[in-house]
Formats: sequence, C-alpha cells, structure tokens
Amino acid sequence: MAPSSGQHHVRPWRYLTAFLGIVVILYTLVLFTGGGNLTPKLGIDLQGGTRVSLTARTTDGQPPPRDQLVQAQEIIEQRVNGLGVSGAEVQLDGSNIVITVPGDEGEQARSLGQTAQLRFREVVQEIPAGPAAAGAPSAPGSTPPADGSAPPAEGSAPAQGSAPAQGSGTGSGSEAGSDAGTGVQGMGVTPERSTPVAPVAHTAPLQDPPPPEPPAPGPGAPAPDDPRIAAEVTQARETRQSADPAVQAQALLALDCAAVDPLQGYDDPARPLVTCSEDGTAKYVLGPTFIEGTEIASAQAQPNAQGAGYVVSLTFKPAGAQAWGEYTSANVGKRVGFVLDGDVVSAPSINVPILGGATEISGQFNQERAQQLAQVLRYGSLPLAFDSGTAQTVSATLGLASLEAGLIAGAVGLLLVLVYCLAYYRLLGLLTMLSLLLSGLVVYAVLILLGRWIGFTLDLAGVAGFIIAIGITADSFVIFFERLKDEMRDGRTFRSAVPRSWERARRTILTADAVSFLAAAVLYILAVGEVRGFAFTLGMSTVLDLVVVFLVTFPLVVLISRSRTLGRPGLSGLAAVDRIGAQHRRSAPAPGRRVAVKGGRA
Amino acid sequence: MTAPERLSGWTRLTTGTADVDIIGRRRTWYIGFAVLIVICLLSLVFRGFNLGIDFTGGSQIQLPANGAAGVISTQQVEQVYQGVIGTPPEVTQAVGSGEAASIVLQSEPLTAEQLIPLRDALFTQLQPLGPDGAPSAASISDSQVSGTWGGEVTTQALIALAVFIVLVTIFLAVYFERAMAAAALVALVNDIVVTAGVYSIIGLEVTPATVIGLLTILGFSLYDTVVVFDKVRENARGLLKLTRRSYPEAANLALNQTLMRSLNTSLIAILPVLGLLVIGVGLLGVGTLADLALVQLVGMITGVISSLLLATPLLVDIKLRDVRFRDQARRVAARRARATPDGDAPAPDTLATVSSSPPTSSASRPTGKTGRSRR
Repeated sequence: MAPSSGQHHVRPWRYLTAFLGIVVILYTLVLFTGGGNLTPKLGIDLQGGTRVSLTARTTDGQPPPRDQLVQAQEIIEQRVNGLGVSGAEVQLDGSNIVITVPGDEGEQARSLGQTAQLRFREVVQEIPAGPAAAGAPSAPGSTPPADGSAPPAEGSAPAQGSAPAQGSGTGSGSEAGSDAGTGVQGMGVTPERSTPVAPVAHTAPLQDPPPPEPPAPGPGAPAPDDPRIAAEVTQARETRQSADPAVQAQALLALDCAAVDPLQGYDDPARPLVTCSEDGTAKYVLGPTFIEGTEIASAQAQPNAQGAGYVVSLTFKPAGAQAWGEYTSANVGKRVGFVLDGDVVSAPSINVPILGGATEISGQFNQERAQQLAQVLRYGSLPLAFDSGTAQTVSATLGLASLEAGLIAGAVGLLLVLVYCLAYYRLLGLLTMLSLLLSGLVVYAVLILLGRWIGFTLDLAGVAGFIIAIGITADSFVIFFERLKDEMRDGRTFRSAVPRSWERARRTILTADAVSFLAAAVLYILAVGEVRGFAFTLGMSTVLDLVVVFLVTFPLVVLISRSRTLGRPGLSGLAAVDRIGAQHRRSAPAPGRRVAVKGGRA
Repeated sequence: MTAPERLSGWTRLTTGTADVDIIGRRRTWYIGFAVLIVICLLSLVFRGFNLGIDFTGGSQIQLPANGAAGVISTQQVEQVYQGVIGTPPEVTQAVGSGEAASIVLQSEPLTAEQLIPLRDALFTQLQPLGPDGAPSAASISDSQVSGTWGGEVTTQALIALAVFIVLVTIFLAVYFERAMAAAALVALVNDIVVTAGVYSIIGLEVTPATVIGLLTILGFSLYDTVVVFDKVRENARGLLKLTRRSYPEAANLALNQTLMRSLNTSLIAILPVLGLLVIGVGLLGVGTLADLALVQLVGMITGVISSLLLATPLLVDIKLRDVRFRDQARRVAARRARATPDGDAPAPDTLATVSSSPPTSSASRPTGKTGRSRR
C-alpha cells in the first residue's frame, strides 16, 4: 500500500488526505444513513436484558445440518416476534441459536426453544368459542374417539397406561360443524400471530440432568421440566386428552380460549385433544395425530388458478404422502385439523382423495393469510431439538454499571499508555496519542455502521477486546520508533532514519499484526458465545491499527522529521541515541558502513 | 536522558546499546523453564482447576447491594436464600463499589420453581434499588448455566487452539526459517502450560472467558517472538561468509537491540490490561472483564519472558545443530584468537566481497517482502 524504497519521495500529505477521506466517508455514512442513530448497538450485558443460548441436539452426535438450523432460527424468530418486545434478536452462532431480548421484559425468551409440533388430527367436532360455558353447543356425547390410523411418525410403541388401544382403520366420527363448504378452511379472521408463543412462565429447562419426568406422558409427548407446569400439563391431559367422550364434552364446555393454554406444545400426539383454534374463535374436539408436520416437504402460497384469492399448495414426503393418501381416501367430506403446538391453525375439509402427496388448500385466503399458513406448514415444527446452554438475565442496573466500568477501564488504559509514551517518547508520544484517538474515531464509526449493517452488537467482552487492542495499536508505534532509534544509533540522522526505519518496521508490523489477526480470526470462526464479540473487536482493531499506522503515524513522523524545530532529537526523546549515532559518525566512516549516512541534516 | 558521555545503565538499555549476555546463559534459562513447567504440570495433574459455574453448571444471582433500607449484606441475602431454598448457597460475595456495588450468589442449579420464589423473596425482603433509585424487581439479574455449556466452550476453544497452532506453524515456516518456527512454537506451548499452571497453582477461577483469553495471548506471545526474530534474521544475514560474529552472538545482539522494544511493547500492552483488571474488579467485581484481563496479564508476562529467554536461546541451539553454523562459530573464535587486542577490525578481504552479495540460501530465505527491503 505504501510506495517502497523511494526514500525521498514520501508524500506524507497524500496519506493524511487519504485518511481524512476515509473518516469523512465513514462519518457521512454514520450521519446520513440509518436514521442518524449515533450509538453503537449494545449487547444485553451492557444495557440489560435476557440472553438464551440454545444448543441443537442431534441423536447421533453429528453437527446439525445448516439448513435445519436456519429453519429453526426462522421459527424461533417468529416466536420471539410474538413476544411483542422490540429489538429482540435471534442469531445463529455455530450450532447454537442465541436469543437476545433487551430490556426487562425478556424472561419469556427462556422458553422459546421448545420444539413446536405441527400435527394433523381429525376434526371430530367444532363449536364456536363463546364466553366459557356458552349455551348448548351441538356437543353430542356420541363422538367416539377416533383412534388414529397411522401412528405418529416418530413415536414408537405407545406403551401407556390409560391410552386407548390403537385401532386401525378410520375413525368413525360424526360430521361436525361443517360450516365450511368446499375445501374452505374454518377460520375467517386473520390471526395476528402465525405462531403461538410458548407458555409465559419461568420455564427454564436448564438443568442438566433434567428432573425426573412427570408420569404418564406418551412416548412422543414432551414434558416440561418445570414441575409446576408439568403438574398443569398432567391435569390438562387428563381432561382434555381423554378418550372418554363424556369427559371430552365436559372439557370442551369448560375450555376458555382466552386463557393461557398449558398444553401448548405439550399435547400427547397419540391421544385425542380438546382445544381452541389459534385465534380463539372456535373450539374443537380432535382425534389423535395421523401425520406429523415433519412429513411435509414443502408448502407455499399461490394465487388461486381457478379464481380470486390465494391457495396454499402442499407436498408431503413419501411416507407422509402415503399416509395422507390413505387418510383422505377414507375421509372424504370430513375435516382435518392442522394443529400447531396444540392450537388449530386451519381446518379445511377434504374434497377428494389426495394421492401422491400434492395438496391444495383453498379458502377465503388473502395473500397474507395464505403466506402465513404456508409458513406455519413449512416451519411449524422445529426441525431440531434444543438444549438450553445458558440463560442469563442482566438487570439494566448491572448493564449500565458494566458499560461504565468498561468505558472507565478503556479511558484508564488509554491514559496509562499516554503517560508512558509521553515520558518515553516525548513528542512522538504525543503523536501516538493522536493516532490512538484517530483510531478511536474510526472504530466508533465502524461500530455504528456494523451495528446497522450486520447487526453487530458490542458486548462486555467486545469492550475488553478494544481495551486490549489499545496495547496492540500502540505496539506498532513502538516497533516503528524503536526501529528509528536503531537507525540513528547506527549513525543516521533523524531525518534520514525515518524512511529507512519505516521500511523495516513496516514489515515487522505487518507480520505481528498478521499473527494477531490470525488469532482473532480463528477465534471468531470457531468460538461460541460471547467470545465472538471479543475476537471480532480484536481483529477489527488490528486492521484499523494498520490503517492508522500507515496513513497517519508514519506520514506525521515524516513531517516532524522534516521540520527544523520539531525534528530536534531532544524533543523526541531521541537525544541519547542521536549522540551515540553522532559518535558513530565521527569515529567510523569506515569502509563497512553503508552509504546513505552523510546526507543527514544540512 | 541528558547523561554525558558515560552512559547510564538505563540509557544503555533504552538506546539498545546494552550488552546483556542472554544467550550465553541459556542453560540457566532452560533449567529455569524446565522447573517451571514441571511445577505447572504437577499442579495441573494434582490440583487441577478451580472451575467456574459455566463448567459445573449452576445458578448465579446478582442484585444491587443498595436496598431501600440501606446497604444489603451478604448475610441477609444468604438468609433469604436459605429461607426459600432450604440449604445455604455455595458462594455469596459482595463485589464492586459505589453505585455499582452488588451481591453475587452462586448455587447449585435452581429449577424455575425455586428461582421464581427466590427472586420474589429477594425483592420483597431486601428491596434492592433499581437505576432510578426506586426498589425494582427487575434489578435482580440471574443466569442459569448447564454444565455442558462450559464443556462446549472448551471443546470449541481447544479446536480453535489446534487450528491456530497449525496455521501459525505454516505462517511462521513460510515467513521465517524452520528453526525459528520450531523455537517460536516451543515458546508458545510453554506459555500455554505456564499460564494454565499459574491458574491451577493460585486457584483462580476458570471461566469460558479465561479459556478464550488464553487463546488471544498466544497471539501476543508470538508477536513478541516475531519482533525479536525479525531482528535476529537481519543480524544473521550473510553471517556464514563472515567471521565478524557467530550466530549466538548475532542473536544476542538482536536480543539486546530489541530488549527495550520487547519490554516496551509488552509493557504498553499490559498497561491497558492492568487498567481493565483494576477497574473491572474494582467496579464490577467478578465477571467477563476481570476474567479476560487476568488471563491476559498472566499470559503476556509469560509471553514476553519466554520470547526473550526461551525462544531465542532455543533458536540458537537449533541453529548450532547445523554443522555450518558450528564451523562458522569456530572460525570466529579462531579469528578472535589471532586478532590483535584492538581487534574488531574485520579481515577486509572477506568483508569486501561479501557485503553486497546475497546471503547463502540457508542462512535466511528471503521472501518477496524481505527481498524488497534489502538493497
């Protein structure tokens, strides 16, 4: 980047202008893009908030596939958005998903990693969800539990006490609530959230090993770790997942769709379910799961080829297509419920047997609603199971204190370096300081911009990275200045020593910075958690250090060396070396000495 | 620094004209490092580490030490904890000072069922003050860590370490000579072992931040070594054809010339870390800042010592395994023996032919970059 050996052709102003250009461009971007917010994005340990790290668990110990992680990230993002707090973020970090919720409202984030389950259940009965205990719905006690045709995809043998024996064949089932005409799905209104939020509670499934599971969930049925919630779930399962029609009818009446559903995400797929629609407008009695949502290969929203509106087209994986074909053939005219985390998202009726897996769901969809449904179908199930690695809630007080401590520590570090450099290098020390400040200026702008562009957040470890990088940056100057001394000791004048020493120092600085950068890059790529912030800031500082040393420090030293007043060795703490150099010049203009010496100060 | 003709020790040091015989005493350094390494390894084997909550799993609760009824004491917090949970917490300590003073409590993993009432009780009984000066339940921080988390961080760190060492070996082998790469790596390993050993011996708590800090000091350790070796290489250029000085002498000269540079770079790097440590501990007590700073401090000190006293002496010994350097050293000694007392005057004929000719291929292999800076 610098012109090489042309010793007397160094044009310092050119470098300084280049640097000025960079600063101007950066600050133009800072001020005139992104709404002019002039603070970098702070991590939750600096501003308070909750951070949860979820670690993907695979059964075979292999790293989870990337596309599944991305899918899981998208789903969790939807759930986080459902929390309604602003500024929440879901990031992929290696094979971890890191949920960050700023502020004091983020406690719920701790339960977001639970696996949502999309399941297909038979709709046995539907009633509108009035206020609880609304008058006489058509609840006939007649509905026998429609025991599943295909057992749930992943659950193996359902060895469970009270569960009804698995019958094969189709459920009997009454034709209930067919307000839906032709393949119309059961809900008119667009629900705001396409994905329900997990139970709002302090569900922190963090212990390792987990507490003993509550008794009697089915094999495929998840169980919450929090015993209080587990108790609620057990109780809800007894009533709402009963196979006894009388109990079901009672549960249907008692069900309050406005209340938080403890069964959300914890329903046992192998048993019937009494539940609400996602938007709380209808109540359902559903049969056991006959296909799991994981059998869906793809789903997308499309304009309706037959007319106005939109349809959702759906394809199944081979096994799912098989089951779907069998089920739809046997149940034409009946309705099927798409159940996400225990809530009915959609309940279209079956018009024709659907063989081959390609399915079209039509209804009163607008584009948004169709896309939502497609997304739920595609992503409803988290493709991976997650363990909670860490969960941390930092109070705003502590965050503020940390930020202050970080800033003070940085200022103190800078001050110490300044004092040392001034004492040791005098004028050059001042130069060091100037360079560091300019470096800080650039760093600040880059921080803000990175926050806007790639969502980079500055956390406590990142602050530490910057403070430690002060040392690295100053080191480059030291290498240069000491090199300068070397040259002067060998008999050069300050002025003639500068370009020469720079040439050599430059190489050392590049090498040393390359090593530092290598360390930071390796850390950034391979490390997990808060370490990455540290590595990132460290690496970034190393690069910016090079910019500043090349474009600011070096040209300024050149300018000083050319100035008659500023270039006096005493001013730069170089007097002693200069004297030694002078001795050298007097005593040994011997043959071995190389040339350039004599052209010193005139 | 206005000393007259006679240079004081300090000036000699700062001007790079000191004449400390570091290479000559390398046996002493080797013994010293060997003893240090053995002690560290023994401690690592028999004492192990004081592993933090991230490795053992557990819960940590932190709340402001300022309550509505005055300063909250650790005993009060312990009482509340015992009242809710039944057993005493593992560690309770007051950290930080002033506005930021807080109390940190660590315990075995708490379930949500225990945690919620505990937070409630801490708030209702102690009334910790939020940032606005009013009691606030939100001012209580907590973190839950599964024991596997620290393990995962460590696994990743070890992978990173391995990758880093491989990359650095390649880098050094390309940039320097093989002997230098080898010496630098030995010093690097020494730094890792000694830093880990210091942690083990003193019983400092090891957190993921510590493990990471360990990785970054490797960068520093090499940085120092790179600076010294750069100078050694320069001094040793064309050495084999001259009888002015032997390789050990050239290396020692380089060490002396860069002594102040090494000390300066290290000191300047350490100063901010020191600030970080003092402020971090003073204001916040335990935590990321302190952990990172502490490990950097320990690592930087071992790093600079090993780059001066271990890496360069090792380099010399590796070089001296080469017959040509041994012969050259012998020739230097022989010439000295012949030379008159006023003697550093080199035999003019040798020098004249050599000063402009390229060095022999093995003494230093110039890369593109180095080639440019030579004349």
